[in-house]
Amino acid sequence: MVISLSHLKKYYKVHQKEPGFMGSLRSLVHRKYQTVKAVDDISFSIAEGELVGFIGPNGAGKTTTLKCLSGLLYPTSGIVSVLGFTPFDRKNAYLKQIALVMGQKNQLWWDLPAQETFLLNKEIYEIEDVQYKKTLRDLVELLDVEALLKVQVRKLSLGERMKMELIAALIHSPRVLFLDEPTIGLDVVMQKNMRDFIREYNARKKSTILLTSHYMEDVKQLAQRVIIIDHGRILYDGKLEALVKKFAKHKVLSIVLDEYVTPDKLEAVGDLVEYNFPKAVIRVPRSASNVAAAQLLEKFPVDDLNIEEPDIEDIIRDVFTQKK
Amino acid sequence: MRYFRIFFLHFQQAFALRSRSMVWFLISLFNPVLFYIFWAGAYHEKGNIFTSWNLSNVAVYYILLVIAGSLLIVHIEEDVAHWDIQEGGLSRYILKPFPYIWLKFFEELPWRLIQGAFGIITFVVFRILLGDFLSVSLPLSIVILAVCIWIFAYLLSFFYKMILGISALWITDYSGLQQISEVVIVIFAGLLMPLEFLPDTVRQIATALPFSYIIYYPLVALQGKLNIVDMLRVIGIQSLWIIGLHFLFQLLWKKGVKLFTGIGQ
Repeated sequence: MVISLSHLKKYYKVHQKEPGFMGSLRSLVHRKYQTVKAVDDISFSIAEGELVGFIGPNGAGKTTTLKCLSGLLYPTSGIVSVLGFTPFDRKNAYLKQIALVMGQKNQLWWDLPAQETFLLNKEIYEIEDVQYKKTLRDLVELLDVEALLKVQVRKLSLGERMKMELIAALIHSPRVLFLDEPTIGLDVVMQKNMRDFIREYNARKKSTILLTSHYMEDVKQLAQRVIIIDHGRILYDGKLEALVKKFAKHKVLSIVLDEYVTPDKLEAVGDLVEYNFPKAVIRVPRSASNVAAAQLLEKFPVDDLNIEEPDIEDIIRDVFTQKK
Repeated sequence: MRYFRIFFLHFQQAFALRSRSMVWFLISLFNPVLFYIFWAGAYHEKGNIFTSWNLSNVAVYYILLVIAGSLLIVHIEEDVAHWDIQEGGLSRYILKPFPYIWLKFFEELPWRLIQGAFGIITFVVFRILLGDFLSVSLPLSIVILAVCIWIFAYLLSFFYKMILGISALWITDYSGLQQISEVVIVIFAGLLMPLEFLPDTVRQIATALPFSYIIYYPLVALQGKLNIVDMLRVIGIQSLWIIGLHFLFQLLWKKGVKLFTGIGQ
């Protein structure tokens, strides 16, 4: 396993102050602390070449986990191993094989063209000239940024800057890539470009990628396996399709009617989620979906009927809601 | 060669922002000029106030102070404390296979060299305008030792400011500490006036602290006010301070970096 994580915990002590002036005075004498469990006893492992989606709401512990895995943070306890190294030892041999990319956080020199930062990274990572030129050429081609190499970074758009950030982060061809919200703030076209790039990079380089994102589309498009985390604990770790089967207790029947039917009649079949004649959406228990579909076809003037899985966003929202 | 290439890449970045360097240089220029005007008035009124310092010596001290203030007073501490630690920028440094302290060294050095170059140009202009009033003639051995003192002064200044910067790993409101440090440096480094002008007790404190070895001794070394033995003694004390501060930095860094939470990143 390239990444292996066992019983990882990362706790923070946070100072708590009572409101008002008296609260300030009291905190001078007696400071109160609260322990925040950012990551609370999580374990998983990732094999070489896997592209795993790591999802959860704000404050779930995604970024903290990524920071522990990359070596940025010291865990409170637990065993972390990446490529056989303990990340927070931050050995040069380890750092040369990984990259942590955080959306909208830049390492590029603002007042110089991005290629100067690439050259700096070449020196820092001690990349041979031939290897550097080859990797740069590949990345430039994949991201289609040839024309931007000599442009001052401050003159680039957000999406163009993000592409350059990726080149700077990948110029040393890392074997393990931690991507934290790589598409955040980008427009839909640029999000798609970024997804295409990540997919292609994973396929070409066989890099192991752990990706966090708020956009389910990123995870749906890229990851076969997802890890769902909330309140520092793992709620699910497995295939995306299995997640649907495990947590989706309903199916969605979308129908198009020939004639108007009163909503109360449709409600007799299931939970009427949406009705805008001639279209209607009915949610039914998963086990009863076939019976409900037959009932609709038999008793109503149905022109078209589709049985669909609920949106992955809805399923995940349900997972979080049930947990709470 | 790798280190030179890293330095030159950083130099390009600093050079691209040379107008910002010019603004900062002007700040380093104004204070010594004002102090000189003050002392020129006092000398004019009272004659030679300090027997070993005539007005020409005072003028040379302050014009060299313009160079030393730009070249030797490192300003990396706010970068480290505010941008790297408090705003989380440290994340992008500590995952690089290159020591953080040396990346900061290569980031800062070009700024000092560019501003120092402005200082040297200013010195040359004043030398042309004022002629022998600003003359300094030194034997080569003294010049070589003086250059060593200036290099060591830079290293001393750099390590001190790095320690000040990483104090933000423990202190939430770092700016208060920075302000205190500024005041202490102004008094004890010789930025206000040559240490001879200060009362004995203050002078003794100043020589016991590292700050006089950053500004005052480099200045008087270049004025020919120190003999070879004195200069070697200064280099020895500077070396001890550099080793001590470097050791202290490593110790604090090792402990402090575990407290870094990468907030904001």
